Amino acid sequence: MERLPYIAVLVAWGFISMGHLLPDIVGEASRRHSRTVAVVAVALHAATLLAGLFLSPHPTGFPEALSGMALGIGIAYVSVVHRRLRALGMLLAPLAIVILGTSQVVPHRSVQALEHTGYSVWLPIHLGLIFSGLAGFALSSVVGGVYLWARRRLKQKRFANMSRLPSLEVLDRIQFRAMLFGFVFLTLGIGAGGAWAAASLQELWAVDSKIWFTLLIWAWYGAALQVRLVAGRRGRWTALFSIVGFGGLLFSLVGLNFLLAGWHTYGG
Amino acid sequence: MAGEGDRLLAVGLSHHTAPVEIRERLALDEDGVRRTLERLRREEIVEEAMLISTCNRVELYTIPRSIEALQEFYGGFRGPNGERIDSHLYWHRGRDAVKHLFRVAASLDSLVVGEPQILGQVKNAVRIAEESSALGQVLHPLTQRTMSVAKKVRSQTDIGKNRVGVGNAGVDLALQIFGGLEGKRCMLVGVGEMGRQVAVALMSAGLEELLITNRTFERSVDVAAEYGGTPVPYERMEDYLPRADIVLTATSAQQPIVTVAMVRKALRDRHYRTVFLIDLAVPRNIEPQVDELEDAYLFNVDDLSRVVEQGKAAREQAAQAALEMLDVEADRFLAALRQVDINSDLRGVAEVAEAFRTAEVARSRRLTNTLDEPQLEALDALTKALVKKLLHRPMMAVRTAAREGDSGAVQTLLRQWKDDDE
Repeated sequence: MERLPYIAVLVAWGFISMGHLLPDIVGEASRRHSRTVAVVAVALHAATLLAGLFLSPHPTGFPEALSGMALGIGIAYVSVVHRRLRALGMLLAPLAIVILGTSQVVPHRSVQALEHTGYSVWLPIHLGLIFSGLAGFALSSVVGGVYLWARRRLKQKRFANMSRLPSLEVLDRIQFRAMLFGFVFLTLGIGAGGAWAAASLQELWAVDSKIWFTLLIWAWYGAALQVRLVAGRRGRWTALFSIVGFGGLLFSLVGLNFLLAGWHTYGG
Repeated sequence: MAGEGDRLLAVGLSHHTAPVEIRERLALDEDGVRRTLERLRREEIVEEAMLISTCNRVELYTIPRSIEALQEFYGGFRGPNGERIDSHLYWHRGRDAVKHLFRVAASLDSLVVGEPQILGQVKNAVRIAEESSALGQVLHPLTQRTMSVAKKVRSQTDIGKNRVGVGNAGVDLALQIFGGLEGKRCMLVGVGEMGRQVAVALMSAGLEELLITNRTFERSVDVAAEYGGTPVPYERMEDYLPRADIVLTATSAQQPIVTVAMVRKALRDRHYRTVFLIDLAVPRNIEPQVDELEDAYLFNVDDLSRVVEQGKAAREQAAQAALEMLDVEADRFLAALRQVDINSDLRGVAEVAEAFRTAEVARSRRLTNTLDEPQLEALDALTKALVKKLLHRPMMAVRTAAREGDSGAVQTLLRQWKDDDE
C-alpha cells in the first residue's frame, strides 16, 4: 500500500516518456497534456516523499535520497519542457523513471549518523537542499550532453532534422542556469549539514570521506562557474565540467555510501 | 439526391498548367471576383460558387446548374493571340475537386510548397463568396472544412518548416546557433548578389545591425543606404571583427581575407561569445581552419547548398505525408456530406409515412364512432410504433449504403418510397 503513490507516479512518467519516444502510439491529443500529467505526478511525488520523511517508521536512507533526486528531475522537467525544449523532455522523463524505479527496489538502509543523532528536523532540510542541488546538476549535465551532440552535428555539417533541436545558445543558457541553481543549493545543503552536526554532535565530523568528496565536487563546480564567468569560456567547457561533475556526484551518491566508512555510510 | 458532393466542380488554371500571359487574362481583383460571382448566378450558370484569384491561380469552385453554360462561359476567354484558353483549364469533379481545394489551401500546390500566404488568400476568397451569398449547402461546409484541414496540415506536418533559398538556409543556420537574431550584429564583406541575398534574409529575420564593408568604400556606402546598414571602411574590417556575431564574406579576392589568427583574436576580444561565419566566395575568403576554433562555426557555399537540399528533401517527405492526410480528409468530408443529404431524404420518407398514418387514423375514426378517448390514444401509439418499426430496417439499409458511397443502392431504396408517393 505504501508504494502505491510511487507506482502512480511511475505510471505517469511512463505515459510522458511514451509521448516523447513513441508519439504515434500515444497520439497528439494526449501528448498535449503531458505537462499537466507531469505537474500532477510531481505534486503527488512531493507529498509522498514528505509524508515518508515525517511519518515513516524507519529512518531516512538511500531510497529516500534517490526519490528526492527523481523529484528534482521531475521539477526540472516541468520547468523546462515547453515550446522548443521538448527534446530535453525525451531525456528527463526516462531519467526520472530510472532513478525513482531504482529507489523502489534498493534495500532500505539508513545512514550511520542517524543512530547517533536520532531523527531531527535538520534531516529533511539538509536532504532537501542537497537533492534540489543534485537535480539542478542532473539537468545541467543532461542539457550539456545535448549541447555537445548538437554542436558536433553543426561542426560536422550534418543538417538532417536540424530544426528539431533547441539552438546552441538556448542549450548553453539552460545548462548554465541549472548549474548555478545546483551550486547555490549544494552550498546551502552543505551549510545545513554543518550546522546540524555542530548542533547535535560533540565532535566535529569532518573525518567523513563523503564530506571531503562532496567538498571536492563543490570546488569543481565552483571552478566551472569561474571559468565561465571570469574567463568567458562557455558552451563546451561548461558542458564538459557539468558532465564530469555529475559523474562524480553519482559516484559519491552510490559508491561512497556503501564502500567507505564514515558518518554518511549506510549501516545494516 | 444522394451525393451532392459529386456535383462539385473545380475549374481553373494555375502556374502548373498556364504561363503568365494566359493567367493574367483570367485574373481578377476583388471587385472583379464579386462581379463574376454575381453574373454566374444571375445567368443561372451555377447554384453555388467561390472564386480564388491569385497571381499563380484562378479557380472556380462551384455547384453548376449547367455544365454547358459554364463551358461556354470559359470559352469566351481569349489568350494574347486571340486563341481559346480551354487547353490550359483543368476540370476536377467530386472527390477530385475536394482534394484539389484542400491541396491548394494547404499550400501543396503552391509554386513554393509550404508558403503560408495562400491560406490567407483562400480565406479572402471564402469571405467574398460569403458576402455575395454564393455559398450554399455544399460549398459552405466545404470551405469551413478546408480552413481546418489546412491548419491541421500545417500544424501536424513539417510542410511549413523548411524554406528554400540560400538566404533562408543562412537564417536557419543562424537560428540553430543563436536561437534568435535579436541584438545580433552581422558584418557583410563584399557586396555581391549572393551576400546581399543572405544579408537581407538575416535582416528580415530580426538582425539588430548590419555592417557593410567593401574594397571600394563608395559601393558599401550605397549598399548600406539601400539596406539600412552601416558602412565600414575596408581597412578597418579587422577592428570591427570582434563586434560581429555573424560574418558574411562574398568578395572576389583570390587569397583568404579572414585568417585563423584574426578570428582567434576577435574571439578573445569578444570573450569567446560564439561567432557564426558564412563564406559564400569561391575561391574561399575565410581560412577553412577557422572552423576548428572552439567558438567559431564556419560554413562555406557547399555547406549552405546542402542545407538547401536537406530542406527540399525534408519538404518532399512532409508533402507526401500531407497528401496522405488530405486523402483521408476528403473522404471524411464527402461521407459527412452524404450523411447530411441522406438525413434530409430520410426525413422526407418519414414525413410521407406520417402523412399516411394520420390519414388512416382519421379514416378509422370516421368509420367507427364508438372509440373513446383512451382507446384513440392507444390507436395513435400503436400506429406510430408500427410505422417506426416498419421503417427502421430500410432506413438503416439506406444509411449503410450511403456511408459506403453506394449511391446506386441509395437511389433504388429511396425510389420505392417516392413511387408509393405518386
